[in-house]
Amino acid sequence: MIKSCYIHIPFCENICSYCDFCKLLYNEKIIDKYLDCLEKEIEEKYKKEKLETIYIGGGTPSCLSINQLERLFEILSRLNKDENIEYTIEGNFSSTTKEKLLLYKKYGINRLSLGIESIDKDNLKFLERKLDTKDVKRKILLMKKLGFNNINVDIIYAIPNESLEILEKDIDFILSLNVEHISTYSLIIEENTKLFINREKNIDEELDFKMYNLITRKLKRKNYIHYEISNFCKKGYESKHNDCYWLNKKYYGFGLGASSYISNKRITNTRSLSKYLQNDYVSEIEELSNDDKIEYEIILNLRLLNGIDLNRFYSRYNYNLLDAFDCNDLIKNNFLQLYKNFLRIPEDKIYLSNEIIVKLLQNKK
Amino acid sequence: MKQENIRNFCIIAHIDHGKSTLADRILELTGAIDKRELKSQMLDSMDLERERGITIKLNAVQLSYKKDGKEYQLNLIDTPGHVDFSYEVSRSLAACEGAILVVDAAQGVEAQTLANLYLALENNLTVIPVINKIDLPSAEPEKVITELENIGFDKKDIILTSAKTGQGVSELLEKIIEVIPSPKGNKKDKLKALIFDSIFDSYRGVITSVRVVDGVVHKGDIIKMMETNAIYDVVGLSINNPKEKEVEELHAGEVGYLYASIKSIGDVHVGDTITLNSDPAEKSLPGYKPMKPTVYCGLYPIESNKFEDLRESLNKLKLNDAALTFEPETSKALGFGFRCGFLGLLHMEIVEERIEREFGIDLIATSPSVVYEVELTDKTKLMVDSPTKMPKRELISKTYEPYVKCSIFTPSEYIGPLMELCQDKRGTFLNIDYIDTERVTINYELPLSEIVYDFFDRLKSSTKGYASFDYEVIGYKESNLVKMDILLNGEIVDALSVIVHKDFAYKRGRIVVEKLKEIIPRQLFEVPIQAAIGMHVIARETVRALRKDVLAKCYGGDITRKKKLLEKQKEGKKRMKQIGSVEVPQEAFLSILSTKE
Repeated sequence: MIKSCYIHIPFCENICSYCDFCKLLYNEKIIDKYLDCLEKEIEEKYKKEKLETIYIGGGTPSCLSINQLERLFEILSRLNKDENIEYTIEGNFSSTTKEKLLLYKKYGINRLSLGIESIDKDNLKFLERKLDTKDVKRKILLMKKLGFNNINVDIIYAIPNESLEILEKDIDFILSLNVEHISTYSLIIEENTKLFINREKNIDEELDFKMYNLITRKLKRKNYIHYEISNFCKKGYESKHNDCYWLNKKYYGFGLGASSYISNKRITNTRSLSKYLQNDYVSEIEELSNDDKIEYEIILNLRLLNGIDLNRFYSRYNYNLLDAFDCNDLIKNNFLQLYKNFLRIPEDKIYLSNEIIVKLLQNKK
Repeated sequence: MKQENIRNFCIIAHIDHGKSTLADRILELTGAIDKRELKSQMLDSMDLERERGITIKLNAVQLSYKKDGKEYQLNLIDTPGHVDFSYEVSRSLAACEGAILVVDAAQGVEAQTLANLYLALENNLTVIPVINKIDLPSAEPEKVITELENIGFDKKDIILTSAKTGQGVSELLEKIIEVIPSPKGNKKDKLKALIFDSIFDSYRGVITSVRVVDGVVHKGDIIKMMETNAIYDVVGLSINNPKEKEVEELHAGEVGYLYASIKSIGDVHVGDTITLNSDPAEKSLPGYKPMKPTVYCGLYPIESNKFEDLRESLNKLKLNDAALTFEPETSKALGFGFRCGFLGLLHMEIVEERIEREFGIDLIATSPSVVYEVELTDKTKLMVDSPTKMPKRELISKTYEPYVKCSIFTPSEYIGPLMELCQDKRGTFLNIDYIDTERVTINYELPLSEIVYDFFDRLKSSTKGYASFDYEVIGYKESNLVKMDILLNGEIVDALSVIVHKDFAYKRGRIVVEKLKEIIPRQLFEVPIQAAIGMHVIARETVRALRKDVLAKCYGGDITRKKKLLEKQKEGKKRMKQIGSVEVPQEAFLSILSTKE
């Protein structure tokens, strides 16, 4: 049963240097056509399930005009929604105006996710982003006043030439906003980004690790719960939509470059706008065997600090994870932990999760 | 064919002087092969040979040529061109009466030109000197003529050729018939046939290349190998012209192939003599030497379940590589594998490459070792071909290592750097021979182990590739040798141990641990790397623990892609060997060879 849906709006007013997501520069006419195709894709694929989460991501969905946003929400109003739905839209501060916020309110959006990334001048220059901290403060107050009580902000760290001091200022600023959810991403220089082309290099692993510790420490001191590798929240504010991913549940993904997990297939949509506009949506289908599903389950569950619920695992796959994978060495050396019938990566080791997961998967008996 | 109309000859040359191209041209000229079907270098039948430009395996081809109304049978025997294969060269020379000595018109006489010439003279062959590649713009035939004169040839006997254009090749053929003697043997005598090569054919078993010296061998004869005492029925005889053609018999003077459903690979030794079981010859042909490998290393399959496959592949390679030896060996670090013996480093590389390429087995090769001699305190002597077999220090009274006499042939401007290199390699200077004003032969005595250890590379780099060298093992000398162990995470990795001269141990230890630090990736734990002699640590480095290996952002859309990333990481691990808790990449095991500082 599918209970989640992702909608991709691949338009931005400005392309950030690090971004390898599927994005295009804002173009009014194309957006209209795009919304037509999006509507068609949803009509073709959506099977009327009642959804518990919808996430409109991007790109920068907030850069759409009021009319375009209204059109988008009209399309999405045909989706069946659970009464407790988590309905998120992403955006940046400058384009998220009062008018748009009121529109969000009207259509039932109850969660906002906004990119700050950094308040440091050099960092912003490097990331090729603009940010007005006064505007941020004002908007956050406005959002709260309008009744948005589930707000996420993003921060990026481990930016070349960034120091722990600079990062600390970023964190302090974000903490001052007193939002419910904070996502923290260490900068990855991905191929197909300006940074990669400019041959920028990642910062030293040791410093990166110190930054991660600083973030964890400071956020936890302010009562944020570290519930996923990159995500922190106040009690009860875990992103339900993201949990759908981490718990390896099924979901729809509509729009350019979006991906879905439907029945036994993980489907990735095309990143080519021209193909998409010709209703040629899909670029890749991965058929999942039972073993694939199990690998995904492990990889994704272990992103959560809680780790893998072994009872849930048993009920899903009908065998004990610990019987099928030899975890003894990893447990003995404290790279994995058993806690209340959960198998988890301890918090101080979660920054090594790739290596730990790979080792675990290798130890299949 | 009348015996007097047979000519058996080979072509000998320094590497890359155009031996194989000349052979091709001879094939073409005698009509054995059409120009159109001439794959470049027909005689080198293995891909690897063609790629490396080295003739690894012997091959014999029968050609016919008419001169003065008479028909002649020419048997051209190709020889390996590398110093590692000198025994095989000597056996193929023993199958001939004459040799064509090819010298590159631009390069002139080089180390192996001389080595091969001496080998040919030792085998009483008539040598025809040929200066090849005269078409090259850089050719200096006059200069090379002088060089050849300096080593004892008469100017009028020298033939100038270009195997590329064909110039001079018919003249050469005439000369072959004219000066190379016909085979001497007697058809009526008891059968003696020299095995000078063997290859394995999956349908027919071992196929031997033979030169019948005396008597006649027929299809159906029951034969005996005189060294191994193995007895077989001759199932078939054939010649290669250069397509295989079956024949009923081979008689004295002829060269061909013999197959006898030989499945047991140990039964066929290059250099052995085949005779008739019912009427055996009294004495075998002279010159047989059991193969003695000079370099050993451990070969281990990366995937431990491929051990049997590796055994199989070594068995198969051994069929046409008599010099290869191997026996099972266990390493604590690497599991089950084989201790393999080779004629030299090139031979070792070729075998490794063939196993990986032809049999699809990924290998870890441990660092090569020579055979050391150890005298224990109780006066018993021990041959040690692997560092793991080195006895404890307190049990050893003396250690000896094999030495070679090494002749380096070089333009005189490189004398300085070469002497420095040899000094650095613990060499003892013998003398310098001046071939002419610009070329010299420098003679040194060197420990064989130093040649095994990056000598070629440094020779090349310190002379811009102009020097060539040749060596022969001259015996053992006392030397202060110690076993140096490498410890990863506090545990000795047996496969990384080496035997080194005590005075050089510190330097080697440093280089190795530094190299390993570069090669071993950061892991979940900190990995200390130590080099130690006994309990005494002489060098140490640390691979710091991995700090960050995480997918920071991982949204829905990325899940498939990120999983692929992890798959890749997992695949990467398959290429590594788990030693204790440390993952060690393949290259680490050869790092011990590296001297890059």
